[in-house]
Amino acid sequence: MWQTAALDPRTKLILVLTFSSLAVFIKNVYILFILLVVTLVAVRAIGGDLWSIFRKLQRFITIFVAIIVIQSIFTAHGHVILQIAQIRLLTDIGLLRGVQTILRFFIVIAAAVIMTTANPRDIIQGLIQWKIPYELAFMVTIAIRFLPLLQEEAKDTLTALQLRGVNLKKIPIFKRLKTYSYLLMPLLVSVLMKSRDLSVAMEMRAFRAFPQRTSLRELHFRRADYYVMLLSILFFLMLLFTAIKIS
Amino acid sequence: MTLPIVVKDLSFQYENDATKILRHLNLSVDKGEIVAIVGLSGIGKSTLCYCLSGIIPHVYGGIMEGEVLLNGKSTRDLTLPAIATTLGIVFQNPDHQLFSFSVEDEIAFGPENLCVPKEEITRRIDEVLEKVGMKEFRHANPHQLSGGQRQLIALAAVLSLQPEILIFDEAMSQIDIYGKKMVKEMILRLQAEGKTIVMIEHDLENLQIADRVLVLKGGKLEPFTGTLS
Repeated sequence: MWQTAALDPRTKLILVLTFSSLAVFIKNVYILFILLVVTLVAVRAIGGDLWSIFRKLQRFITIFVAIIVIQSIFTAHGHVILQIAQIRLLTDIGLLRGVQTILRFFIVIAAAVIMTTANPRDIIQGLIQWKIPYELAFMVTIAIRFLPLLQEEAKDTLTALQLRGVNLKKIPIFKRLKTYSYLLMPLLVSVLMKSRDLSVAMEMRAFRAFPQRTSLRELHFRRADYYVMLLSILFFLMLLFTAIKIS
Repeated sequence: MTLPIVVKDLSFQYENDATKILRHLNLSVDKGEIVAIVGLSGIGKSTLCYCLSGIIPHVYGGIMEGEVLLNGKSTRDLTLPAIATTLGIVFQNPDHQLFSFSVEDEIAFGPENLCVPKEEITRRIDEVLEKVGMKEFRHANPHQLSGGQRQLIALAAVLSLQPEILIFDEAMSQIDIYGKKMVKEMILRLQAEGKTIVMIEHDLENLQIADRVLVLKGGKLEPFTGTLS
């Protein structure tokens, strides 16, 4: 069941845009940390699942370590913290830049969790009310709706492959990649058939009969939405000016 | 009197095929009649369905000769949105025709496309959900329902456009015995309301509700004598 927190999905979109664009613009680690804390507070206040952020990040721990090491190796200056032979595995600048990248990553993922608290249908309606063409908004609906089904189908095809005696864990990586390519054809055929059937079903229900269409749902901004939008714009400007001043 | 469906000398050949799948086929269906069309797999039942509903020639290409008249008007001259308000079609796989996140949105999709006012859409949703007996599932996700229930929602979505003619293209082939019972009872109720129904079937057990059963053989329709071959 989708959580339906009180805010309009468009307000949530603005929040996501604010947090993620700030994460890209700001370089200062301390300000990034403040941004992360504010993002996490916003996620919690809106009703997002904080643990889902940590679960998602767990998968990237190896990548994070690799980022710090790569930043240390390829940054010429900075004090060495850890060195093996002639290779500078960890430097203070490398560590700083690595932490910067990790914080940005963290903020973007946390901001994205805000959107999971909105009903997908409301998100589409929000896009439509923002004058995004209905066809485009509808494509987003179909993508959100059918992606999990495609995942399931890919899993089924993989299981069918394994039932024929292909043990993916035991075959070498290149052969495994080739085996994965066998998944593509049935998946592609199934996607094409599904999309063809779907388009016919939609045509038979008068899709694009007129340039305009009515809508059963209508979104209306409430006072809380205006406050949150105003706050997020002020926060955006304040953090951006502080970051510019410090740099 | 104008009949809801009249097929005159219909032949059809797909672009990549060397032979015609439908050959000089004729059919007339009376108002309020349930006609079942049976036939072996790949014989052209779905193609006939597409011709009756205007999907051929409006969506799928090929060589179509003869004509299909819906309430006296040729499907060639009607647009698909115009056909959609006269004829509704329920396909085999409910998963390939439901795409919304709630039953309510799924049903509203067609009327929204036809610019029906919001109040009228709400009224139609109430009406069709009552009709298919799925009122309590209004806010449910269609993909969390059983196969039979999903097919009833697909039917409700079609009924919201208020068509007089309904086509069921093997609509009971992917649902369990209870689902089939639900759909068959629904078809009989729709007939009682005066709807004209064409059922495309390969399962002979679903034929008992039909007033007339025809078999598609060699591209033509013949009265069904109990066997398909």
